[in-house]
Amino acid sequence: MASLELKNIVKRYKSQTVLDNLSLTVADGETLVLFGPSGAGKTVLLRLVAGVIDPDEGKILIGGEDMTDVDAEFRGVGMAFQNFALFPHMSAFDNIATPLEARHSSQSTIKAGVESVAKLLKIGHVLSHKPRALSNGQKQRTALARALVGAPPLLLLDDPLRNVDAKLRFEMRLELPRLLADRGATVVYVTQDYKEAMALGDRIAVMSQGVVRQLGTPEQIYREPANIEIARLFGDPTINLLDVKPARDGKGVYVGLSNVQVHLPAAYETAVGRDCVIGLRPEALSFVDAGAPGAIPVTVEAETPLNEKIVTLVRTVRGREILVSRPAGAPGQAEGKAHIAIDSKSALLFDQASGERIGSKNVVSLRNGEAA
Amino acid sequence: MEHTSLLERILRGVALTLVVIFFMFPIVWIFMMSFQTNETILRIPPQLVFEPTLANYTALITGKLTTMSGTLDIAFMRNLWNSVFLSTTSVAVALLLGVPAAYAFARHKFRGSEDIAFTLLSFRFAPALLVLLPLTLYFQKLGLANTYIGLIWVYQLICLPLILWIVRGYFEDIPADIEYAYRIAGHSWFATFRKIALPLAGPGIAAAGLLAFIFAWNNFVFALVLASADKQPVTVGALAFITSSGIQYGQISAAIVLSITPTLALALYAQRYLVEGLSLGAVKG
Amino acid sequence: MTAVTVQRNRPSGFRISKRVLPYVLSLPALLVCIGILIPFFTSVVYSFQRYRLSQPWARQFNWGENYLNFFTDPKFWNTLEISLLYAGITVLLELLLGLGIAMLLQKRTTLNNFISIMLLMPLMTAPALAALMWKLMTNPGFGVLSYLASLIGLQDFRWASSPSTALFTVVLVDIWVYTPFIMILLLAGLRSLPTQPFEAAALDGVPRSFVFFRITLPMLTPYILTATLFRLLDSIQQFDIIYAMTQGGPGDTLTVFQVEAYLNFFQSTNVGRSAALMIILWAITYFLSNIFIKNWLRLRERARGLA
Repeated sequence: MASLELKNIVKRYKSQTVLDNLSLTVADGETLVLFGPSGAGKTVLLRLVAGVIDPDEGKILIGGEDMTDVDAEFRGVGMAFQNFALFPHMSAFDNIATPLEARHSSQSTIKAGVESVAKLLKIGHVLSHKPRALSNGQKQRTALARALVGAPPLLLLDDPLRNVDAKLRFEMRLELPRLLADRGATVVYVTQDYKEAMALGDRIAVMSQGVVRQLGTPEQIYREPANIEIARLFGDPTINLLDVKPARDGKGVYVGLSNVQVHLPAAYETAVGRDCVIGLRPEALSFVDAGAPGAIPVTVEAETPLNEKIVTLVRTVRGREILVSRPAGAPGQAEGKAHIAIDSKSALLFDQASGERIGSKNVVSLRNGEAA
Repeated sequence: MEHTSLLERILRGVALTLVVIFFMFPIVWIFMMSFQTNETILRIPPQLVFEPTLANYTALITGKLTTMSGTLDIAFMRNLWNSVFLSTTSVAVALLLGVPAAYAFARHKFRGSEDIAFTLLSFRFAPALLVLLPLTLYFQKLGLANTYIGLIWVYQLICLPLILWIVRGYFEDIPADIEYAYRIAGHSWFATFRKIALPLAGPGIAAAGLLAFIFAWNNFVFALVLASADKQPVTVGALAFITSSGIQYGQISAAIVLSITPTLALALYAQRYLVEGLSLGAVKG
Repeated sequence: MTAVTVQRNRPSGFRISKRVLPYVLSLPALLVCIGILIPFFTSVVYSFQRYRLSQPWARQFNWGENYLNFFTDPKFWNTLEISLLYAGITVLLELLLGLGIAMLLQKRTTLNNFISIMLLMPLMTAPALAALMWKLMTNPGFGVLSYLASLIGLQDFRWASSPSTALFTVVLVDIWVYTPFIMILLLAGLRSLPTQPFEAAALDGVPRSFVFFRITLPMLTPYILTATLFRLLDSIQQFDIIYAMTQGGPGDTLTVFQVEAYLNFFQSTNVGRSAALMIILWAITYFLSNIFIKNWLRLRERARGLA
């Protein structure tokens, strides 16, 4: 098994810097998810690790060994591509067998290896087919089988579920973590789907514009996003963001929402008097009776079921729209006047100008820094 | 388009018929002449119905032409062989040199790669004699004058740009990820080139090779300048044959038929790729 | 799951660094490149010399004299005129004919496809051999075309052997060989055009001439430009057809650039003049090919996009 270490990686294409002094460590056996919008540099990073493109600066260590100048075929990694990258002129069997052939394994070893991984991925019956005769799901499994068959200590998965349909993606999201855990390999997994990131990652590195913006466990990323951008990317329905200016009174720091003073934890002391944005997760909001403490009057506008949740769109007296979610089956709210309360402990406060989250020890920009 | 009137359909039909007659007639006529004796050929008005004879072809193949004034040696089979040998070898050499270079140009954008590619392309458009005339003098000094090696080398002027530019396009059409996947699986660049790039670009390479063969075969000026009789291909040989054999029109026709048949057959076989090849990949057929 | 032992290939034996690899791959082609550039520069040098093969001792630099002489040399002006005339006439006629035929064959029917494949045959005939074929057909004694000409009252039509009709005859052969080239390029272009504008125009009852000039032609322009420049580049350098048919004659009726340079070199053995002629022709083609390559690259990008 192998750990992966990237040190101060810089990659430019022409004048554009795709990866900007990026450093990252993935522990032995860990699954790290690279999450971010397209163009963030995730795929480039994966290819650098695989060795098919070279960094302009920086070092790549696999299992403690400097691999920066080692050709791809000697790095011993497995990789699955977003577009599958199957060899169109070879059968699925031959596709999967390529890593074993490269080692000059015997025919019987190759046959056993391919068949066992094919069985695991449930594609045993299509091994004789050429890629063009496979369904998208089968192609994706073939590509995955090819990456897995050599039992590589380091596995790179480039958004492997991107091009498969929703049902299969759901299945694989359940199946993959077990599969990867069984292998015990170190995994770097690229995705643009936050649910996939949450489901698969031991840790998640949120990237944008060639920089890791935040690195942490899924829990950390969700509860303590480094900035507004990340808070917005994680969570469905998306987080409610409202402009506020915190003030102080006898009971501590508060923000005014529809003329109701909502008190915040003392940690937000520094935010007093600054232009801020408060982030309220829809599940941190709940409907309450009119008389409850901190109850904010709203008008219920619409209600939509979303998976196992029900999302309600409400409007405050000042006309701001807010999403409230509750578990399906929980008592609902008729259209018209209502009141909501805020779980102020889970409220997030961001600096309006910089977008950074305020008052958290986790607020570190990872730019130019080691993020272990 | 459904509203075409009868008149228009007739006009279109007439126009197409004229087009087909104009472009096909010379080939058909030469073909017919090649099966006629000199006496039939010289008859006026020209005959559409005649008794075909293979005498012209036998004369060419045996290399002996019996006329009233005696027996004449015909070196035409030699020319035919030269054409086959020169074209085949030139294309083989061009493939050997051009395919790896095309791969390098397609996959590795290295310093100066575009310059080299464009320099090679510009040869396609430069006047041949600009290079050929000084070459005759060089070749005499180097002992390459009137040698197959010298000719094959010069033929690269036609074959190499063609192969380089067409095959490069085919290599570029292979997604880079497919090759990356093979490398990552543990194979060397050479194995990747051999097992992935070559098979996937195979049809394109074959088409480029066929086209290069046709162009090499049809070339006239290179051998006219650089080769003497025993190394000349059919294009130059047929011209010499016309002057030397005087009025043996039947044999001349047969020689022309033998000379154009290989390229016509190849062209029909590879017609799917011709558009793309002729425009160096600018127009997809 | 069977245990597959974890192992990794190790670098071993002879390896080429990936930085050097592309150079290694393209080196042979590069050498050929250089091998061709050398005679090119030699030509440049010759063009500035007084150099006659018959008088090697008199060889010396005369700098621009070969070029300056051209200004007062009627033979040069004849060469320039006939070359431009030949290129202009052939390309214009081939373009009109090629476009017309392409439009006749535009619909993808079995017959049209068959005809378009048949029409490839003249193009695949070696131009020098095509010239010989036409020479046989225009033979004053038995040539079928001479016979046909006599039927329509042209009793003594001398084709390539008369100065007044020699240009017409070689142009005819050029058209026979190269019209299919323009035709197949434009046919591919026509067939790749989107159909919506034409359907919309048909629905709206737009006149056909308007559709042709306002929709078809503008959309076809890049193809027409590529085909025209391609042909122009070839045609201004035409040698095979003219040499095989008339050797530049009768007299100097058809001494286009390359034919004139060839005759200068091998008959008058005037290397200096021959080289200077080639340099001027090269300058013309270089100018044309620069325009061409830009246009061609744009079309090529688009073709890649379609693939």
